Amino acid sequence: MRRLFADRLVIATAVVVILMSILFALERVAG
Amino acid sequence: MRIRYAVRGIIWIAFYLLFILAPLFALLAGTWPPARDFWTEFAVALGYSGLAMMGLQFGITARFRYVTEPWGEDVIYHFHRQISLIAVGLILTHSVILTAGRPEMLAPLNFLQTPWSARFAVLSIGALIVLVVTALWRVRLNIGYETWHLTHIVLAVVAIAAGVAHMVGLGFYLVDPWKRALWIGLTIFWIGLLLYVRIVKPLFILRRPYRVSEVRKERGDTTTLVMRPEGHPGFRFRPGQFGWLTLTGSPFKITGHPFSFSSSAEATDGRVEMSIRKLGDLTSGIDKTPVGQRVYLDGPYGAFTIGNPADMHVLIAGGVGITPMMSMIRTLADRRDKRPVILLYGSKDWESITFREELEALTARLNLTIVHVLANPPAGWTGEQGFISADVFKRHLPPPYADHEYFICGPNVMMDAIEAALGELGVPMSKYHSERYSFV
Repeated sequence: MRRLFADRLVIATAVVVILMSILFALERVAG
Repeated sequence: MRIRYAVRGIIWIAFYLLFILAPLFALLAGTWPPARDFWTEFAVALGYSGLAMMGLQFGITARFRYVTEPWGEDVIYHFHRQISLIAVGLILTHSVILTAGRPEMLAPLNFLQTPWSARFAVLSIGALIVLVVTALWRVRLNIGYETWHLTHIVLAVVAIAAGVAHMVGLGFYLVDPWKRALWIGLTIFWIGLLLYVRIVKPLFILRRPYRVSEVRKERGDTTTLVMRPEGHPGFRFRPGQFGWLTLTGSPFKITGHPFSFSSSAEATDGRVEMSIRKLGDLTSGIDKTPVGQRVYLDGPYGAFTIGNPADMHVLIAGGVGITPMMSMIRTLADRRDKRPVILLYGSKDWESITFREELEALTARLNLTIVHVLANPPAGWTGEQGFISADVFKRHLPPPYADHEYFICGPNVMMDAIEAALGELGVPMSKYHSERYSFV
């Protein structure tokens, strides 16, 4: 269970980081 | 306990994301360099985040008990491996996006003529690639554990230091001195975590040595080391937990291996036992350990432990996975716990069942039922044979299956099969606890 949770956490972290990087880039291009 | 662990887990996840993303978004404060196209800015953000994730790996593997407790060390190392692949993927994507369709950006590959900041980028990515390849295929590449571990640390330091040198040297986003200081400070923090694990912590361990007081041969190529603290009271552990054992040399050497405690957690004199099977590497000469040898123990660690209220404990062990179970059973016996315990114990054959006689003796002190499952049963064997499966559960466990608390420890293949079998029986994931002993 804990391993499965860790797997999901890895995917969630990757998604958050990519989304935040998109946000960063949009902010820079727009600003 | 579970709620406390859940809250702590969420707090640490929030801290983790903060440490990755805050340094990136700090770049949006103060002076902004001229904006470039979306893809360039996106690639830059990936590079910064990927580097922050790589740096934090030193924190993930720093064995901070307070951080690792909610998940267990095996899961932390699993997360470390998986998230490393993501971080390296982000950094590689960063360089691919920046070079795609722009041949001038491939200039760093001409190592002699390119600026230093670009050389550092190539060095960092090269070190990362070697790091991943040697971590994923260490056994296939025939690299010894100790050599690999040392190389792993050196490559990680080179990759991160070169990555930071690349961004500071390029200086596009780090024009403001405080931003430069922030990223250099972060790097010092990451390296500080490494120094804590490799220098500060071993210094503490050095002052708390143990002495091997007995070396006991067990069935199944297993040897029990009985260790007593020397000049200090030792530590208390919970049954099922493990420690890092440095058998030879000082705790500064990268020779520590994780082993479960097999003794009762009720021992009050600091004495601990570890039962170790010969499986190659460090363990091949374990039975030759001289009585009186000084050893070092770092522990206790791990979330694989009894203590949850349950009507019945179901312990499922494969091979040397019996060691944490043995600690649980001995502890329950010492506590005069009367709750029923079922041990499903998979072994190669009848002669190699580690602790066979002691387990039989313990059935007199506990409400303990033992079910041996033998891969190679002797002639006339009427018990379970083959491997532990859903059918074995159905034959020996009283329903409803979801009411029991399951503890599983054994080889990875067995663990995967058991977890699938429990899923078939409708046991919720919150009811089973597992420890993978081959996590490093």
